[in-house]
Amino acid sequence: MKVLLVEDNERVTQFVLKGLQEAGHTADHAASGREGMFLAASEPYDVIIMDRMLPGDIDGLAIVEALRRSGKRTPILILSALSDVDERIRGLRAGGDDYLTKPFAFGELLARLDALTRRAQGEGAQTKLEVADLRVDLLTRKVTRGSRSIVLQPREFKLLEYLMRHADQVVTRTMLLENVWDYHFDPQTNVVDVHISKLRQKIDADFERPLLRTVRNAGYTLTAHDDRGAR
Amino acid sequence: MRVLRASALTLAVGYISLGLAALALFAAPLWFAWRVTIQDGRREILGADATRLAEVFRREGAAGLVSFMNARVGMQIAGERLLLLADAQLQPMAGNLRAWPSSVPPTPGTYTIKADLGRGLTDVALVHSVLNGGYHLLVGRDTARLEPLERRFWYALASAVAILSVLGTAGGILVRRLLMARIHGIRATVSTIIQSDLSQRLHTDRSADELNTLSQTINGMLDQTEQLVHGIRNVSNAIAHDLRTPLAELRSRLEELALTRPSPQQTFAEIDAAVADVDRVISIFNALLRLAEIDSGLRRSGFVPIDMADIAAAAVEFYQPAAELKNIQLSFESGGPASIRGDPVLLAQALGNLIDNALKYTPDNGAITVAVRGEVERGVEVLVADSGAGIPDADKPKVVERFYRGDASRGTPGVGLGLSLVEAVARLHGSSLVLEDNRPGLRARILLAQDTLQITRAARGDDPADERGALRHEPVYP
Repeated sequence: MKVLLVEDNERVTQFVLKGLQEAGHTADHAASGREGMFLAASEPYDVIIMDRMLPGDIDGLAIVEALRRSGKRTPILILSALSDVDERIRGLRAGGDDYLTKPFAFGELLARLDALTRRAQGEGAQTKLEVADLRVDLLTRKVTRGSRSIVLQPREFKLLEYLMRHADQVVTRTMLLENVWDYHFDPQTNVVDVHISKLRQKIDADFERPLLRTVRNAGYTLTAHDDRGAR
Repeated sequence: MRVLRASALTLAVGYISLGLAALALFAAPLWFAWRVTIQDGRREILGADATRLAEVFRREGAAGLVSFMNARVGMQIAGERLLLLADAQLQPMAGNLRAWPSSVPPTPGTYTIKADLGRGLTDVALVHSVLNGGYHLLVGRDTARLEPLERRFWYALASAVAILSVLGTAGGILVRRLLMARIHGIRATVSTIIQSDLSQRLHTDRSADELNTLSQTINGMLDQTEQLVHGIRNVSNAIAHDLRTPLAELRSRLEELALTRPSPQQTFAEIDAAVADVDRVISIFNALLRLAEIDSGLRRSGFVPIDMADIAAAAVEFYQPAAELKNIQLSFESGGPASIRGDPVLLAQALGNLIDNALKYTPDNGAITVAVRGEVERGVEVLVADSGAGIPDADKPKVVERFYRGDASRGTPGVGLGLSLVEAVARLHGSSLVLEDNRPGLRARILLAQDTLQITRAARGDDPADERGALRHEPVYP
C-alpha cells in the first residue's frame, strides 16, 4: 500500500514512517499543507494520513476539502489532537473517511489504514462472505462452518460480519466499538473482549483450526492464514 | 459609572417632566371651563341688559331711554358697567362712554374691545344692538373685575410648577446619592473579591428592593464560583496524585530496565507494561477532557430527539456478556414513552458507566436492573439498580466528585471519574444523578425531561425522524 503522510511533527512522522515501512508499505511524507496538496494531487496514493494542525495554522480539514472538491477520491484518515465528538464529525463531513486522535497506538493506525484501503477497493454488493470454511450469507443471515450451521444473536452476527469484511486485517477494539455498537467512547472495560470470546465459542470452539485470533497489543483478526496473528 | 449617573439624572428629569405634564393636563381643562363659563355668563347678562333697555326704548322712545340710561349711569358703581346710546351717525346720546368706540363696527353683534373706563385700558365685552330708527345701543361690562382671580390662578400654577421642579430635582439628587452610595458599596466589595478574596459577600437584608435582589444574585454567583474554584483546586490535586502513580510506576520500570539491561524478551515485556502505564495516563486525560467538554455545555447544540429506551436496551445488550461472566442477572425494563432531547453518545456513555459500575460492585450471582420509564414525574426516569454493597449515605455526595474512590473500590480498575461523568451528563440534560438505597445495593436515578414536542408529533402520527433532517446539527456518528 502506498501512503502519503501529511504531518509536521518530526517525531510522529518518524514513528509512522518507520512503522509503515516495517509493515511492508511505502510512504511519502509532506511536512506542509501545500506540499501535501501537491503530492496528493500528482501521485496516486492508496491512502492519505492528514494531520489537522499544520504549519502556518492551516487546518488539515481545509486541504481535505480542497482535495475532495478537485475530485480526488483517495481515502483520507485524519489525525488530530482534538478529540471532541463534534470535531470528529467535522472531520468526516469535510471529506475524511476516518478520524484518529493523538496519541494513538501504531497498531490502531495500521488497522484503520488497512480497513480504508480495502474499503476503497470496493467491497461491492457482496451477499456472501467467506473465510476458510466459515461462510456468512448476508441475505438469509445464515452462518455455517464446514457443514455445521451456527446460530448467532443479531449483534454477534454484526460483529462477525464486520470481522469477515475485514478478514486478514487487524481490527482494533475501538474499531469494533465504533462500527458494531456505534459507541464513540471508551467503555473503560474489556466488554469487547467478552463479546469476542463468546463469538469465538460459537465459531471456533469445536474446530481444529481457530480463525478468530487475538493480536497482542492491537486487537483481533479473522484469518485462515497461520502467519497472521502476531505482529 | 457615567451611564449610571446619566440614568439617575434622566430619571429625575423624567419624573419632573411627567409631573409638569400631569399638572398641565389638569390645569388646561380647568382653564378652558373657566373661560367658557365666565364668557357665556357675561354674554347672557349683557343680553338681558340689552333686552331690558330695548324694552324701555320700545315703550318710551329714544328720550325715555336716554333718561332711563342717565338714571342708571348715575347710580352705577365705579363704571364697571358700560352703557352707550348713539344715533344713526354713531353720535353718543346717553351713557357713560364719551364717544363711540372706533373698534366696534356699526353692525349688531358681540365684541371684546380694549376701552378706557377711567382706570386705564381694560378688556371690555360688548353687546351691540341696533334699535328702531337707527339708534345704536352698546351694553358692556369691564372684565377687569375677574383679573385678580385669573392672576391668582396663574400664580398658583406657577408655584406648583416651581415646587414640583425643586422637589423633583432634590429627590433625584437624593435618590442618586443613595443609589450611588449603595453601588459604591457593592463595587468596593466586588473589588476585594476580584483581588482574590472569594469568601467575601455583598451585604444583603430582607427587603425585596432591586439592589438587594441583585446583591443576593451576585452572592449566589459567588457561592458557585467559590465552590468551582475549590473544586478545581481539589481536582488539580487529585489529578496530580492520580497521575503520579502510573508515572512513578513507569519511571521505576524504565529506570530498572536501564540499570539491569535484561534479556531482549524481558525488555519487550517491560516495554509493553510501560506502554500500558502510559495508556492509563492518557485514559485519565481523555476522561478529563471529556468531562470538560460536557461541562462546557457546548454539546447541547447537538441535542436530537432520541428514545431513551433504545439507548438503554443497546447498553444492556452490550454489557450482557460481561454480566454473564459473573453470573449476574442483568435485566432491562421499560414502560411509557421515553422520548427525550439529548446527546445519544453521552447518554449511552453515562448509562454504560452506571452499568459498568454496578457490574464492578455487585458480587457474583447478584442482579442488576436497568429501567427506563416514561411519564414518571412528567419526565423519563432512567434507573440502574444493583444488589451490591451500595454506598453509605455519608459518601453519596462524594462519589460524584472527580477522582473520589470509595473504600470499596480499592483494588478495582478505574480512575474515579465514572460517576462524575454520569453526573455531568445528567447536568447537561438539565437533570441530576440521584443515588438511593436499594436495600441492599445502590439505585442510581436520572430524571430526564420528556420531549413533549415529539410526543405530540407521535400522537398526530408525524414521523419524528423528519425533525432530524431539519436540525442544523445533524446527528451523524458514522
